[in-house]
Amino acid sequence: MAEPIPPIVQLTDVRKAFGSVEVLKGISMEVDAGNVVCIIGPSGSGKSTVLRCINGLVSINSGSIRVDTHQVETLRTEKMLVPLRHDVSMVFQQYNLFPHKTVLENVLMAPIQVLKRNPDEVRSLAESLLAKVQLADRGDAYPGQLSGGQQQRVAIVRALAMEPKVMLFDEVTAALDPEMVKEVLGVIRDLANEGMTCILVTHEMRFAEEIADRVYFTDGGIIVEHAPPKQLFHNPEDPRLRAFLDKVL
Amino acid sequence: MSRELTHALIGFFGVIAVLGGVFLAAYGGDSLDAVIVLTNRASLLLIGSNSFDSVGGGFLANIGISLASMVVATVLGVSLGGATTAPNPMVRNTAILVVNLMRNSPWLVVLYAMLYLIPFRLSIFGTEYWVSPAAKAVVGLSVPVTAYMSEVFRAGIQSVPDGQWESARALGYRRGAILRRIILPQALPQMIPNIMTTYAMLFIGTSLVVVTGTKDVLSVAKTVIASDGDDYATAVYLFVLLLFFIYCYPIATASRAIEQKIRKAGLHG
Ligand SMILES: Nc1ncnc2c1ncn2[C@@H]1O[C@H](COP(=O)(O)OP(=O)(O)OP(=O)(O)O)[C@@H](O)[C@H]1O
Ligand SMILES: [Mg+2]
Repeated sequence: MAEPIPPIVQLTDVRKAFGSVEVLKGISMEVDAGNVVCIIGPSGSGKSTVLRCINGLVSINSGSIRVDTHQVETLRTEKMLVPLRHDVSMVFQQYNLFPHKTVLENVLMAPIQVLKRNPDEVRSLAESLLAKVQLADRGDAYPGQLSGGQQQRVAIVRALAMEPKVMLFDEVTAALDPEMVKEVLGVIRDLANEGMTCILVTHEMRFAEEIADRVYFTDGGIIVEHAPPKQLFHNPEDPRLRAFLDKVL
Repeated sequence: MSRELTHALIGFFGVIAVLGGVFLAAYGGDSLDAVIVLTNRASLLLIGSNSFDSVGGGFLANIGISLASMVVATVLGVSLGGATTAPNPMVRNTAILVVNLMRNSPWLVVLYAMLYLIPFRLSIFGTEYWVSPAAKAVVGLSVPVTAYMSEVFRAGIQSVPDGQWESARALGYRRGAILRRIILPQALPQMIPNIMTTYAMLFIGTSLVVVTGTKDVLSVAKTVIASDGDDYATAVYLFVLLLFFIYCYPIATASRAIEQKIRKAGLHG
């Protein structure tokens, strides 16, 4: 009998407090390679904090986080975190592109400067990624000259240029006008179909239902319920989840 | 732009006219004599020597001392300003303490202190160095200006949104590289007016270095008055005032113009 393949991301009883406020109160979560996991939940329930813990932007108080071969809670210095940041990329709600650099420079910078990759190789990768999100002709533009939807697609390309194993998306369509939401969701859908492991925090319930292999519902710093989307959205068990879905659907 | 330039020019020549008026009021019929004294002493006051082929100090010394102090203060100020935003509380609090100490030291007191703290002769690895008064002046002026510069840098660093730090860290950049490659390039344009204002203030402060025994414009002025007579003291000091004004006014005006330009650019996206 074949060994079962362990999940690529595994959180075990993760706790995190900011000062005296405990924000994560024992979060456990598993994501299989190639799967898409969505995290939903009310504002302030700790969704963003979970993502930030996974790529080590936030250090945890107890519990453990493993991403592929990285034991995240043992990475104490910025230097030790670099290999993790190579394998886990993150896209933010506010895009956070570097405004003083062109689109192409935004994409090339980190692979060349941090990962010390060959500039020519990175450039051809960047160009093909930009073409994939229909921005091949905007490489020389500055972020300020692009629409929100275009900026967010560049941010996704910048994250992909790190050639990560896992992509984290934190409400990446929340700041966008409705017509731009679609173009960004389209890019994420393509990624998911290509087999990229994705963890998304999102308020787009229909998109979550369509794309996710599993959906986690957080409230007050704990995972209240998790299940495949059909079951979670159409047969919610916990009353808190039911109340939440009544409000957002 | 042209209206601001007109205002700036009116201000520039207006102040010069006022100084001229004070000069005429003070000397009346003897104005020509005073002008002759100033003409004869101009090179001494400007470059500290009687002929323009050698340099011994004067107003040029003030410029040199101000530039040297500015370089020292900028280099130290960047490090100190960076340290005041460090995540490590030990480093951060120490840096804040040092900044406050330096910023609240009266300039003249620091200059006097340097006079006695720094020996005339300094022995480094067996080589004897003579510490010139100008060097002491540079060290003394650098103390408060380093504190100002570190505040300028701190404010500049903090003007860049946190999201820039976060996305840079997520891409694997470390703190020093983030500051250098991502934060400072964005903060620098906003800091330029403050840097220029600090420099103008420092330049005016160079008038204090006379206490260190440097042959700056003020000490030359005192020598001139001692030899040509107290009658011409007003003329000489008005001339020194004019020099400071001509040097500082364009810097102050330009920094204000740049600041306005940045504010407008910020408003229009
Ligand atoms: N750096 C921080 N320092 C202090 N408190 C923080 C910090 N980051 C987050 N918090 C707090 O932790 C709680 C959870 O924040 P988090 O951003 O993870 O929530 P969220 O579920 O992503 O909410 P939203 O849907 O509004 O984005 C909030 O109460 C927030 O105020
Ligand atoms: Mg959030």
